[in-house]
Amino acid sequence: MAVIGAFCVSVNKEVCLNARMPGKCATCAEVCPHNVFSLDIATGEMSVVNFNACVGCRICAEFCPENAIRINPAEPEYITRYPWTFSTVEEVHYKAQTGEYLLRGFGTHGQTPNFDMITVVPSQIASPAPLDKYREECDLEVVIGENTCEKPIRLKAPFVWAAMSFGALSKEAKMSLAIGAAMSGIATNTGEGGLVPEEAWLSRGYSDKDMTRKKWEPGGYLIIQWSTGRWGVSVDYLNSGDAVEVKIGQGAKPGMGGHLLGAKVTEDVSRVRGVPVGSDALSPCRYYDVQTLDDMKHMVAFLRDVTNYQYPIFFKLGPSRPYADVSACIEAGADAISIDGMVGGTGCSPDIVTQGVGIPTIACLPPAVKALQDHGVHHKVKLIALGGIRNGLDAFKAMALGADACGFGSAAEVAMGCRVCYACQKGNCPYGITSSKPELRARLDPMEGGKRLANFIHACTEEVKILTMLSGHNRTVDLSTEDLRAMDLNTAALTGLKLCGYDRPLPFWEDALSGNGHKKTVTSS
Amino acid sequence: MKSIDAKTKDLKTVNSALRTGLNGTTISIKNASHISGLAAGLKHGEVVIRSSAGDYLGVLNAGATIKASQDVGKYLADNMTNGTVIVEGNALYGAAQYCYGGTVIIRGNAGDFTATMNKGATIIVCGDVGNEAGTYMLKGDFIVVGNSGKNFANYLIRGNVYIGGQWEGLGHNTKVEPMTDIDISKLRAYFEAYAIVADPKTFKKIVAASEKPFYN
Repeated sequence: MAVIGAFCVSVNKEVCLNARMPGKCATCAEVCPHNVFSLDIATGEMSVVNFNACVGCRICAEFCPENAIRINPAEPEYITRYPWTFSTVEEVHYKAQTGEYLLRGFGTHGQTPNFDMITVVPSQIASPAPLDKYREECDLEVVIGENTCEKPIRLKAPFVWAAMSFGALSKEAKMSLAIGAAMSGIATNTGEGGLVPEEAWLSRGYSDKDMTRKKWEPGGYLIIQWSTGRWGVSVDYLNSGDAVEVKIGQGAKPGMGGHLLGAKVTEDVSRVRGVPVGSDALSPCRYYDVQTLDDMKHMVAFLRDVTNYQYPIFFKLGPSRPYADVSACIEAGADAISIDGMVGGTGCSPDIVTQGVGIPTIACLPPAVKALQDHGVHHKVKLIALGGIRNGLDAFKAMALGADACGFGSAAEVAMGCRVCYACQKGNCPYGITSSKPELRARLDPMEGGKRLANFIHACTEEVKILTMLSGHNRTVDLSTEDLRAMDLNTAALTGLKLCGYDRPLPFWEDALSGNGHKKTVTSS
Repeated sequence: MKSIDAKTKDLKTVNSALRTGLNGTTISIKNASHISGLAAGLKHGEVVIRSSAGDYLGVLNAGATIKASQDVGKYLADNMTNGTVIVEGNALYGAAQYCYGGTVIIRGNAGDFTATMNKGATIIVCGDVGNEAGTYMLKGDFIVVGNSGKNFANYLIRGNVYIGGQWEGLGHNTKVEPMTDIDISKLRAYFEAYAIVADPKTFKKIVAASEKPFYN
């Protein structure tokens, strides 16, 4: 589904400042990065001249001094004309005219199976009593690499920022994430675009390069991503953080590598990545330097070696075959495994891949947990759920399904001010988050962004605490599928959760011999 | 010269000994073919391997000189950023990938996907290279004295690829340009420095057709 033509833009010309003073105001035309508006020189009237180009970012409405602009999604069409909606028609026209397929950012839209049809089961009289969120303690700490490296990570709340690269995000957004992580004691992630130098000290809570003045308590962590494009990677880069993450895939485009279009490859990005300015930085879909699982084991071994056995090793998976993929990560020596569901975000991806490829997050978690259990490492090798986690409620559900922590990617962007226009790939984000242009980047203050992110984490942490304690637990590690119920058949079928009312899993989840397609084969002796 | 017999030693033991023992000096190693990731991430000194070597030899090398007297495994000098790696024998699949800088010399042949995503290193193969060599190269010099397989320099973006022999197939986004005097003197200097017998005047030069071949 395209975003072209997905919004109806209108200017109320009676309210518009130009009605009283023709030609006086062209704010909307100036702030719109997509040339939707034009001021008629002859009449002094503001008009919508290119409504198809609107991506729904609403920057015009925010800046309009008279509140004269309305941007309405063309939703009724999805009822009256589906599947041949206006945006579908426009998409076909676009392809016919250009011979090109669509690229876009952010992530999957439309209905996919999600956490919303799962409900939380509270404690009452028959189960252990609920605990008091206001007057009792709840342990939310997550330790990664406790027995495998010299410097384990101790997350103060069960959250991380999902990997988002410098280049996909502006420097200011990367700095905001680092400050937010430091203020909340969680981890930020370089993504695959190399290191923004400030990340190294801001994420640990320091305001200066020498790390002498700690400004933000408790201080967070920096995860260094090692990926298939190997942008900006050196032995010093690997040693500049607190963990190394081996990226195998991501939810928005599993089976493909990172996409950073030339429009966002500026001088700064070029310097870090070694790609010419304006050239597309398209990461390989796989590691050219790994052909077998043994190679991957050797890769983990030398990554531990060059970081002097100090830091935990993370793996990041796209949503493919969670049981087998998680098993492979365990065998390769992971300390933590992030699995990114279908609706996970991206700075840029072919539209059809984001919309049509991968497994929803709720269906990834049960087989991933089963793999950890079958290897005897559930809650030892930490599982991090990514992909469409929006709040503490989603996070609680993911953790009750068996994850140890959750990652926010898209939600973190929204917390910084994003309005979800799906046009991150263009480099002209009006909120300065995914922008490459200095004048747009200047709209995001890293300090303010960091505070907003820390506030968001604080609120979500409290939400997780509420739900954990009303379920009768004082540690998130004690959560289980017994704390959840599916509210419809589809969700029960996808997750193996007990179905509300029926209060049992669907029969095929209870059949231990045939299994659910992910369990190990049972052989008779 | 210090020496290490790696026969019964693992990666951690050998590499720790290198990191603490080099101090700008030379250490020789024998019986190291079972170790993947030997001499990883070194910043100085010289390592001489007096046996065949395993995979990922000199991975993330950041300034050391690494000399291998025999054949080496896959992924030689992977993601090197500085230093020199010289192999007297052959290198298997994926030699000198993801390098940002430094020099790699392979006196024998090198396998498929050699010099893939080179981002600034000088990579010289005195024998032949396999298929897909020089894929998505972004900067640096890649010199093949012998012949190449299919899809040579596929989707080259920037940098120079030189070949003395023939290619089985040339990759996308490439074009052949005449050798300039600068190219010839550059190659001659490399050949003299590393005692390579070849005539630069007979080489062909391949460059990128476009820096933006994927999305317009």
